[in-house]
Order: sequence, then C-alpha cells, then structure tokens
Amino acid sequence: MSDRFRKGLAIVLALALALTVFGIGGCQPDEDDGTGEEPTGDVQKGGTFAYYITEPAFIDPYNAQESEGTQVVQAVFDSLVTFDPLTLEILPAAAESWEANADATVWTFTLVEGATFHNGDPVTAADFKYAWERIANPDNASEISYHLAPIKGFDEMQAGEATELSGVVAVDERTLEVTLNYPYGDFEYVVGHPGLAPVPQAAVEADAEGFAEMPIGNGPFKLAEPWAHNQYIKVVKNDDYYGDEPNIDGVDFKIFQDEDTAFLEFEAGNLDFTHIPSGQIAQVIEQYGESDDGFTVAEGKQAVTGLEMAVYYYALNTKKAPFDDPKVRQALSYACPRQKIIDTLFDGIRQPADGMVPPNLSAYEAGAWPASVDDMDMAAQLLEEAGYPGGEGFPAFTIAVNSGVGHEDIAQIFLDNLTQLGLEVTLEPREWAQHIDALQNGEYDIARFGWIADYPTADNFLYSLFITDGSDNITFYSNPDVDAALTEARQETDEDARIAQYKEINKMIGADQPVIPVMYYSHIHVGSDRIRDGIYNAQGLFNFESVWLAQ
Amino acid sequence: MTPEHLNWDHDKDPDMIPLDAGGHPSRQSESGDHITASAGHIDVGEISTSSRTLWGDAWYRLRRNKLALVALVWIVFMILLAVTADLWVPQTLGDPIVLPQDTAAAKLLPPSADHPFGTDKLGREIVSRIIYGARVSLSVGVLAVSISLVIGLIFGGLAAYYGGLWDTLIMRTADVFFAFPYVLFAITLIAVLGPSYRNVFIAIGILGWPSIARVFRSSILSVKENEYVDAARAVGASDLRIMFRHILPNSIAPIVVYTTMSIGSAILSEAALSFLGMGVQPPTPSWGGMLSDARAFLFSAPHMMLFPGIAILTTVLAFVLMGDGLRDALDVKMKD
Amino acid sequence: MFKYVIRRIIQMVPVFLGVTLILFILRAPGVLPGDPVRLITGEKAISETLYQEIVEKHGLDQPLHVQYVRYLKGLTEGDLGTSYQKSRPVSDILLDKFPNTMRLAAVAILLEIIIGIAAGIISAVKRYSLLDVLVTLSTSILVSVPVFWLGMLMQVVFGIWFKRWGIPYLPISGMSSSDFPDWVHLILPAITLASVSTAYVARIMRSQMLEVMGQDYIRTAHAKGLSERAVIRRHALKNALIPVVTFIGIDLGVMMSGAILTETVFNWPGVGLEIFLAIGTRDWPIVTGGVVIIVLLVMIINLLVDISYAFLDPRIRYGGPAQ
Repeated sequence: MSDRFRKGLAIVLALALALTVFGIGGCQPDEDDGTGEEPTGDVQKGGTFAYYITEPAFIDPYNAQESEGTQVVQAVFDSLVTFDPLTLEILPAAAESWEANADATVWTFTLVEGATFHNGDPVTAADFKYAWERIANPDNASEISYHLAPIKGFDEMQAGEATELSGVVAVDERTLEVTLNYPYGDFEYVVGHPGLAPVPQAAVEADAEGFAEMPIGNGPFKLAEPWAHNQYIKVVKNDDYYGDEPNIDGVDFKIFQDEDTAFLEFEAGNLDFTHIPSGQIAQVIEQYGESDDGFTVAEGKQAVTGLEMAVYYYALNTKKAPFDDPKVRQALSYACPRQKIIDTLFDGIRQPADGMVPPNLSAYEAGAWPASVDDMDMAAQLLEEAGYPGGEGFPAFTIAVNSGVGHEDIAQIFLDNLTQLGLEVTLEPREWAQHIDALQNGEYDIARFGWIADYPTADNFLYSLFITDGSDNITFYSNPDVDAALTEARQETDEDARIAQYKEINKMIGADQPVIPVMYYSHIHVGSDRIRDGIYNAQGLFNFESVWLAQ
Repeated sequence: MTPEHLNWDHDKDPDMIPLDAGGHPSRQSESGDHITASAGHIDVGEISTSSRTLWGDAWYRLRRNKLALVALVWIVFMILLAVTADLWVPQTLGDPIVLPQDTAAAKLLPPSADHPFGTDKLGREIVSRIIYGARVSLSVGVLAVSISLVIGLIFGGLAAYYGGLWDTLIMRTADVFFAFPYVLFAITLIAVLGPSYRNVFIAIGILGWPSIARVFRSSILSVKENEYVDAARAVGASDLRIMFRHILPNSIAPIVVYTTMSIGSAILSEAALSFLGMGVQPPTPSWGGMLSDARAFLFSAPHMMLFPGIAILTTVLAFVLMGDGLRDALDVKMKD
Repeated sequence: MFKYVIRRIIQMVPVFLGVTLILFILRAPGVLPGDPVRLITGEKAISETLYQEIVEKHGLDQPLHVQYVRYLKGLTEGDLGTSYQKSRPVSDILLDKFPNTMRLAAVAILLEIIIGIAAGIISAVKRYSLLDVLVTLSTSILVSVPVFWLGMLMQVVFGIWFKRWGIPYLPISGMSSSDFPDWVHLILPAITLASVSTAYVARIMRSQMLEVMGQDYIRTAHAKGLSERAVIRRHALKNALIPVVTFIGIDLGVMMSGAILTETVFNWPGVGLEIFLAIGTRDWPIVTGGVVIIVLLVMIINLLVDISYAFLDPRIRYGGPAQ
C-alpha cells in the first residue's frame, strides 16, 4: 500500500501548492436526506451556478484523483453511498441499502430500482463491477486504484494475473456483493469515493476517448457538451435523475489557470464560488463576512473557513536517537508554536492540532494528545528530564521540508523556538521527490508531512499512519498494543463501538507522540451573495444539489 | 575615443551590453556574411585593443567619467555591506533570519523609523535581509562569472589558437548553447541539479561560457597576427607560454570589460531564478526570493516588493555603467 | 542565394542535434532523480509485470543512443510524449497555450518597434538634448531592471493603487475577464515583456542613425541642399533600419522564451507559464517538450531573419565558401 502513502503526500503537496482544498467524498445527498440543512425561505428554482476550477486532470471517474476533476465527477456520477455535507454521516446514493457479514469481510449492496445513466441505460450491479475493474486494471494506471486494495482479487489484477476482480460479484441486476481480503468495518465509507461510481459499459467500450471528454454518468447533472479544455465544463440538470432534482439548472465549471484571475472574476460578479488568494484572506473575510459554521454560505456570511479532514504535522524518526525517546518527542511537541504559526501565516484561520484525528470526525476528542500544546516551559523541563538540560548534549539535527510551497516559513517559526531551547537545528528544504524518498527510507530527523483523509474515518488516519510496518508509517512507530487495537477496531461492525475504540487508540498513540501535530487545515473560500443553502463540505466538495440561487 | 565622449554617449556600441536574464537577443557577425541569434547574450565580434599605455590611460579616463565613478562607489559600498554584515547588522538593524518574539504583531509592517524598509511576512527586517541578500547576489555573480571565465578562456583560447577542427567544434558547441533560451536552459539544468546556492552559480556559470569564449577568441585572433607573437614563436616559445605570456595579457582589456558586465547579468539571472523558486532556498535571504515572497502581498504590503527590486536594479545598473566606463576607458571597441 | 539558404539549413542541423541531445540527456534515466518508470506512472504503485511493460514500451532497457534515435523519431512525428499529470498529449497542451504566448509576444514586438524606433530616432536627431539624455538614461535603467519586478511595480501602481484611488485601472492577472475587453488584459504584460527589448531597439536605432548620418552620402545629400527632415527620411532612416529590423526579427523568437517570467507574474496562460507550472509538478514531458518547441521556433525565425537580411543588404555575399 505504498501507493496510498505516496498518494497522501501527493495530495498534500497539491493542497499546499495551490492552497486548494482537496477532498474526495461522496456525491451529495438529496436535499431532504440531508440532516439539519432544511432550506431557508422559499426555494427558488433555476439559475446556473458558476464555479471556479483549474483545468482538471480527468473527469472520467476511473481516475478522479484531484479536487478539480473530482468536483465534476461528483456532480455527474453517484457512487454507492454518499456523505452528509455537514455531519459527514453516511447516506444512501446509488445503493438504497447495504449490509456486512459478522466480521465485515463480505458486503452486500442493493441498488436503487429504476436508476439510469444519462444515455438511458439502466444502472446495474454489473456496471459497478465493470467500473471497478477498469480502475483496478493496471493498464489504465488509475491513480485511485488503491481504494480497491481491500477487495479480494485486486492484487492479482494489479499483478496482471487476473482480468477481473474475483471479490466483486454482480449477483443480479440490483445486488452487488463485495468480498474483502480482511475485515474492514469502514468499507462502506470507501465506496463513497466519487471515483468508484458505475460507468455504462457499452458506451465506454464504444468510444473510450469520447467518454473521457464527455462522460455519461448516473448523477443529478449531465454534461451539456464535451469538456472545453482550459475554458469550461458545462453540466445541466438531469431530468431523469432517480433522486430529487436539484434546484439549479446547471453548473458552469469555469476553468481559470490561477486563483487571482478567478477572484477578480468573482469580484466582478461572474463567479459564484472561488478560492481566496493568499495575502488577501483577512481583507476578504472582512468584506464578505464569515460563515457561521465555516461550511454554509449565506448572504453577508460568505467566506467559508471550516476545517478540512486533514492534519499538518512533523514526523519524528522514532528509530533514530534521540528521537526514539518519547520524552524528547514530547518536549519537541511542546516547543512547537502552533498558534503563532497560524496567526502569523494563516491569518488565524487554521486550527492548532491537538491530535491526529481532526475535529470534524466523530472519533475526535479534544486534547487527545496531551503534549500537543504550546508550552515552552514544559518543553524545557522534559528536555532536562530526558537528559539534555538546556539542550546540552543534544545532537545537531535538521527539519526537512519539501521546498518552494511555503513550508520553509512554517518550519522557520518552529525552528526559532527550538533554538531558544538550546538545540542546534537547521532547515533542510528538499525537492518533493527527494523528500518522499528520504521519508520512506528513514533518512531524516524531523520532517514535515501532511495527511488528508480520503474518507471521513479515523481509520484513514490512525491505521494508515501508525500500524507497525505500514507503508505510510513514515515514523517507524511500532506499538503492539496499538496494532492489536487497530486491527480489532477494523473488525467492529457497530459504528458507535468502533468510534469509541478509535478515540481510545488516538489517545494511546498520543501518549507516545510519534509525530508532532501542528494544525488542521481549513477552507479559504468565498461564495457570492445570491447563494442560498450552499454548503462547501469538509472534503472540499460543493453541494450542488441543495444549493439554490436568489434571483 | 576622447574622454568627453563618455557622458551619456553610447553611440559606439550601445547594443553591446551582455545583460539579460530575460533572454534577449544578440547579434553577432564574425565574417560579415552571416548573423546568428543567440538567446540571452549580446555578443561581441571584432575586438581591437590598443595597449601601449593602456592601464594608466584607462585610470585617467575612468576618473573623469562621473557615472562610472558613482557606479564604482556603489559597487564598493554593496561589497562592504555584504562583507561586514555579520559585524553590525543583526545587532543594530535586526536579524535577517531569526524571527522576532511576536511574529504575528511584527509581520508586514510598513516602513517606519523603527523598521526602515518595513518587515516581511514573518516579521523580519527587510533592510537586514536586503543587506544579507547582497551577499548572495554579489557572490553568485562573481562565482558564476568565474566559472564562465575559466571555461570560456580555455575553450576560446583553444579555438582561436589552434583553429581548424578545434575552432569548428568549440564554436558549434557554443552555438548549441546560444540556441537555448537562456532562462529555460538554466531552469532545466537546476531542475536536474536541484535548487541550491551552489547549483545556481554553477548553472549560470556554465551557461555563460560561450560568450566569454567568443570574446576571447576574437581578441586572440586580432592579437595573434601581431609581430611579437611571431617573434616569440620564432625563438621557440611553447604554445602555452605564448598563450600566457603574450596573448593573454594583450587581450585582457575586452575580457575585463565583458566580465564586469557579465557580473551584472549573472546577478539578474540569479534574481530571476530565485524569483521562480529555482534559486537560493529560504531562509537564506536573496533579492529574487524576497520578490517572490512579496507577490502574495501586493495588495496588503507593497513595500515588500519595493526595496529588493531597487537593490537589484541599482546593483546591476552599477555593473553595467562600470562596464561601459571601463570599455570607454580601456578603449575596447566591441563592434558588431 | 539558394546555396546560401541550404548552407544555413545545414548549419542548423548540428545545433538542433546538440540541443535535443542535451534535453534528452537531462531527462534520461539516472540523470533525473528517481526511477524513470516512476516518473511515467506517477505516484502509483504498480505490478512487476506492468513495470516491465513500461520499460519495454518506452524502450528504457535499450542503450541510450537507441533511445535517443527513438526520441528524435518521435519529435519528427510531432510526438512530444504524454503529460504525467494530465491525460493529454504534450503537443495538445502546448498547442492550446501557444497562441496566447504568440499574442503577447506579437503585441510586445509592436510596442518595441513603435516606441523603440521612435525613441532611437529622436535621441539621435536631437543628440545631447534633454530628450536624448532621458532616452539614454532610461534605456540604461531598463536593461538593468528585473522584468518581473517591473511587472510587479506596474501591477501595484496601475492595478491596485489606481483602483483604490478610483482612477480607471488595469487588470493585473489573466487573459480575459468580464470587466475588461480582452485587449486591456494585454497592456501590462506586453509592456513588461517589451521593456528590455525596447531599450535595445532604441539604443541600436540611435547608434545606427548616428553612424549613417556621419557617412559621405548623407553629407552629399545635405550638400545638395535637401532639408534635414528629407535627409533623415529618405536616406538615413532606410539604412539605419536594417540592423534594427534584424534585431526585431530575432527578438520575436527570443520573446517566446523570455515570456516565462512575464507570464508567471501576470498569470498569463501561455507556454512559459505552462513550463513553469510543469517544473513545479515535475511534469518532464511538458518541460522538455516546451523547450524543444521554443528552441525550434527560435532557430527557424533566425533562419528566416538571416535570409531576409541577405535580401535586404546587398553587402552580404551569399553562397560564399562555408566556414
């Protein structure tokens, strides 16, 4: 699963680079499925929503790998399940119901009856099997294939030994049975990824290239014309949609190369939703008002600054002295000036990280990692307890960051504090490729890293990053108790019980402090004043189904 | 050339400034029957020197060129700042790298009595960073041009002295380098080497050699025909000896002029590379890097972009004017 | 004449081979950090079988010279490879951006011609006047100014401050918007891109005028009683223009590459910005493909300029012995 590691990194880079929100999430629920988001006032129908994206890499779901393409895919396709835009609770989409066996190794999904693709073909279980095999087929080099890694037969397909996913069976038109390699209670979240949507086999096989330019989906919107590269992607309401029809007539995904131009367009009244350019955040918030919950755009409260499902942290090389000593690791964590970093560089918008599960997940617990607070006195004290009073005897070390996208500034503030502790530390900016190579090979002391969840689950953070010998476990952290607990939690099919277990695991890991959590990422976006009931969710996807436009 | 000419009078060869981070064209015509473009360097074809009382005359003329003198003073001033920075800048103006206690309160302050040039996004004094940036700019300029000089002198010398196949081979290779868009080539090179202080001056240095080689080659070709070279050869002096004892000293004037101008050019290139994120890496202050930082704050803190730009402009201009002055003073004719 | 053209084309071959060889080496396995297969597949883990397939498909197991020939062959067929990050062929991506860069460069050249030549003539005719001093001074400054800083300076003044002060302002980013006609978006980037070249044109124009005006036939014309204006227009200008025209011709090609800084500052979606962004994402086919195209363009333009120069200037002998 080293792919997931690289994927995570790639995603974080993309985020940092463009300050764009990344998220992979489900298609949005129908508005009356949404919890707590009842329309305010009289819903007006009609209007076209103008939405800023940069040129996507793909809008064909099999390779929906970055935020831009994913945004389009989620409007045009429905996966099996989706997530509530505010609570991130799981909701039915293309599947009306599903169940798992006792140890969560076999999952059975029942599809909505009568659903069709935009070309009129019925959506069947076989279409899901076809779509997933398209993703798993190594010839297609899909960037998102790792999502299917838990499924039986995936490894064989990737190795070229099989041409189909043996674990995916279309029992009948409406029944899809999925067998996994291991128990995985959160698998229902995995299938909410927009890229795991069904595709009409006949249409794809007839003209794969055409499909890539003008995909035919099963979602609430359909493409009005083929993708106009570097200009726009137009989608219109799908009148035959099996769910409730959207309020707006369609979405114009307007493609701009850069956020500055897009923002100028926004100010001119030609865009309904865009990213706030760095350096103007405070001004924009003052001018347009800040959303109450950070996700919902309302008139006069148009800037959304809600938390994303992502953590920015420093990895500590736990197999290298002196970072093998938990006391040292805690001392360094106390020395990290989280609030100062956020105030100085992010206009106070991000949130200091007090653990490795972000607050928008139900498994979050405030203060889960006790040493994740800014406290220089505690840092000095622990350093002394660890045998390095005033930093004496502590070997010189480096903080490695990937270069050129602002991480040097963040590290500089951290480094300043460490110097005050009497430690000798230097900044080591590296090229991205060298940075991840060094991380994987353990050639670092402290290294910047970021992790963005693919699905709203704690497992996606804790298992991925801290299981012994996990390929994404860049700190080489190993705690048998944690391993056992993580494995056990995956087998738990009861959601509440599982969440309780993850809360406990987060604290167990926190006591060992293998990483220094720094901050939870936030949105930096703003919407127009005609948006009503517009939600930009924690996964960085706009909910085009609930939104309506005041005319 | 008479000294009175010097004021504002570039009419002899106004297009001969080898300056160009942006990759601008040059003309060059060695035998008069063809002109080739080279991306990024103004080239020098025929060069002649008169060397009898060269250095004495030159100093006399230079002293009377006020503009060149101002340039010289400015260069010396920048060098002094850069060299002595450690002794007084952090103590009086503020540290260029270490952050102030309350970064959030100290950041992006406009220029004032306490903060002469204002502060940057981390609350550091821009004036300190400019002074330390001079270290990077000047040293990259000098080191890069040194590399160009070494390679250029060797190749130019070989081409001119031996001629024939050597000449063809070396000058065709130079053409290949000239055909490359300068900035793009530097970026490609650094993308491979990895961005760092060292790699920046190496890349700029490597790309600069063909111009030096051409200047040197032309100047040798004109010196080589002189009688004293024949005389030296007649008494059995070795090739190397002739090259070092006779030809080099007599073709040094155009090299000096060209080198001075090239330093300005290299400083511009370094700034461009750092601006694109392919140069000196933070937290080391560099003028180009500071401008790159300033881009995000054009709205809220325009002072961030003002001073680094002025620093680059004045320093490069100083080298250009100094080069102009030297050219006139040394009576080097660089003609196309 | 024909011989001369052939000779120039033949001279281009080794240069082209050299340039492509350097680019090829820079992207060859072992030079760039990382496994070349990894660069092709991206961040994704792949099976051993697929790995082998990619090695064979791209000929990565063959000797370097074979790979180079293969690469050249691809180039002649217009195949620049496929972007790692985007699903499209590099040639398509660059072709999309190419007209934007051309548009910017064309306007910049226009500015360069009008302003540069005018300034040069005025400066030469009114030698030692205040205007002359101003022109020479500003050309000295312009060749020393970092173009990207000039661009930022104009963004602050004409874009941000003018807007703040309520004066009609200019757009500072991108190529089109609903607030402005498209051509207004061109103003600041074009001035920025043209700045250095304009300074060179003015300097060359000035020196050529001065040189030409000192020559015998001009003195003769004066002696014949022609007015100053007529002398300048009929005789001096025509002869002084030749080197200027040459310079401008060459400059068009060079501007295509110089645009990387200007395009970055103004977010102008051209080839330069595309290359810059591709460097950030390690998308090597776009970088090398973009550089190859620009190099080719520069070479072709140079050739055309040389040939037209040969037509214009009777002093040039063509078909002479090759060097």
